[in-house]
Amino acid sequence: MPKRLYDLAYGRAGDKGNIANISVIARTPAAYRDIKAHLTAERVKTHLGDLVQGEVVRYEMDNIEALNFVCYEALDGGGTRSLRIDGLGKALAGALLAMEWESA
Amino acid sequence: MVFRIGSAEGFYGDNVLSALPMIRGGHVDAICFEALAELTLAILQKDRMKDPSRGYTFDIDLIARKVLPEAFARKIPLITNGGGLNPQGAGEKVRQIAEQLGLTGCKIAVVSGDNVLDRLDDLQAAGEPLANLDTGQPVTEAQNQFWVTGNVYLGAAPIVEALQSGADMVITGRVADPCLYLAPLVAHYGWGWDEWDKLASGIVAGHLLECTGQVVGGNSLASINHIAGTDMHNLGYPIAEVEPDGSFVLTKTPGMNGHVTPETVKEQLLYEVHDPGNYITPDVVANFTTLRLAHIGKDRVAVSGVTGKPRPEKLKLNLNRLEGYSRELIYTIGWPEAWRKFEQMKGMMHAAWEGLPIQRIAYSFLGVNSLYGSVADLPDDPLELIVRVMFTAPDADTLKTAVRRLMNDGLSGPAGLGISGTTIGQDARPIIGLWPTLVGRDKVTPCVEYYEV
Repeated sequence: MPKRLYDLAYGRAGDKGNIANISVIARTPAAYRDIKAHLTAERVKTHLGDLVQGEVVRYEMDNIEALNFVCYEALDGGGTRSLRIDGLGKALAGALLAMEWESA
Repeated sequence: MVFRIGSAEGFYGDNVLSALPMIRGGHVDAICFEALAELTLAILQKDRMKDPSRGYTFDIDLIARKVLPEAFARKIPLITNGGGLNPQGAGEKVRQIAEQLGLTGCKIAVVSGDNVLDRLDDLQAAGEPLANLDTGQPVTEAQNQFWVTGNVYLGAAPIVEALQSGADMVITGRVADPCLYLAPLVAHYGWGWDEWDKLASGIVAGHLLECTGQVVGGNSLASINHIAGTDMHNLGYPIAEVEPDGSFVLTKTPGMNGHVTPETVKEQLLYEVHDPGNYITPDVVANFTTLRLAHIGKDRVAVSGVTGKPRPEKLKLNLNRLEGYSRELIYTIGWPEAWRKFEQMKGMMHAAWEGLPIQRIAYSFLGVNSLYGSVADLPDDPLELIVRVMFTAPDADTLKTAVRRLMNDGLSGPAGLGISGTTIGQDARPIIGLWPTLVGRDKVTPCVEYYEV
């Protein structure tokens, strides 16, 4: 089994209109250094593919060793506009944490 | 002495009776019930169109019957934004229930002024462009203007006024979620409206409390090996014990299921948050990046060091409009040649719908890529494909016609194709589109009224 981001971190997705945010919270200080250095907004955007139509912005929270990714146009319109079965993006954290990960 | 706030509702339909063990155990000094997600007001509008006396959450009846008598007896104020589109109607209903229950002296406050649906033209005339916050598009260019709801996010001030006037229950329309929880703190401690760090700390407490179960082990990936499914049904809802300087301990209703750990607090801290350095509320802009967490005991996490910046000039206004209707059909396709059959099914549909004003069509495969889109790999030769087809039209009749035309192909379609009977029988679902925007603070005047028993 390849290592996945989930081995280093956990997280939760939330929705506001058509914007989803995904927190990625490191399990250890070493894991935080690793994800802070390598889990870029570009990488998240590429990984999520057609789930996210807009840009991805990354915020850092050194105080709780977590990153927050804000994904624009990520919910197919959001709310009842979305034609996805998971229109609120409840499972999106899992989509990101499934990323295969090779620690530096 | 700390001031203790319990949270007994995080969405319309949550278990509001979770307030009872908080009251009976003597664990709280005030209880808040947060009932309004972005779409909830549109749901309440549907109720109100059927019955003009409604438009508020049904939870309010239950709170009044089951929780208010015990809270009133112990002088624990109850605060809810479940008044939705009709806080006055809710206030009158609660007054009647309180009277029936003999709660003499019970004072119910109603906060309104958030509903600006009837004033959208006036607001534009007064220089508010109401541009879409996400896209920048001016409201005049919105493709349709069938506005269903229009509510401004109010802050804590009118609730503080009501509490300081001795209200036993405060019922509001759209008040920003964390401001519901900030209000009893400001009322109790007398914080100034420019004490930004204290206000911000109260907002963080509110933000952690406002989704009830989500901070005590619900929807928690970090808790997956620590909470049994049988325990999830009866989580002890959260309580914040707040110091005069705003720092607080997050804990839960004792003797019930769930847990509070730094992990559950971190998960909820970032829930539905964009820039954690600038968490914007009507009362203060909170900075989460300065705070510190400390695990000081079982189910006790201390939160300190929150900082705040001055409140924003503008208030958020969410408009909802009716944009059309959608329908769902679920088809089953089995091996062999499942992908070929799927292509046939798609072709059949497109031919059947020719000439109909169908706007969007989306196909997904349940159990394969319906959650994760292109993150998921598609199998080459699947044994089963469950195809979910979603399609939209400006009117519900078009969708009915679209489904009927497909039924004509029932015996003429791909080999072994099946359809879920429950999806055929469904009604069209209205598409309520959100138009988030801003409005000047000076254009919005909150109002507090009292209903006494």
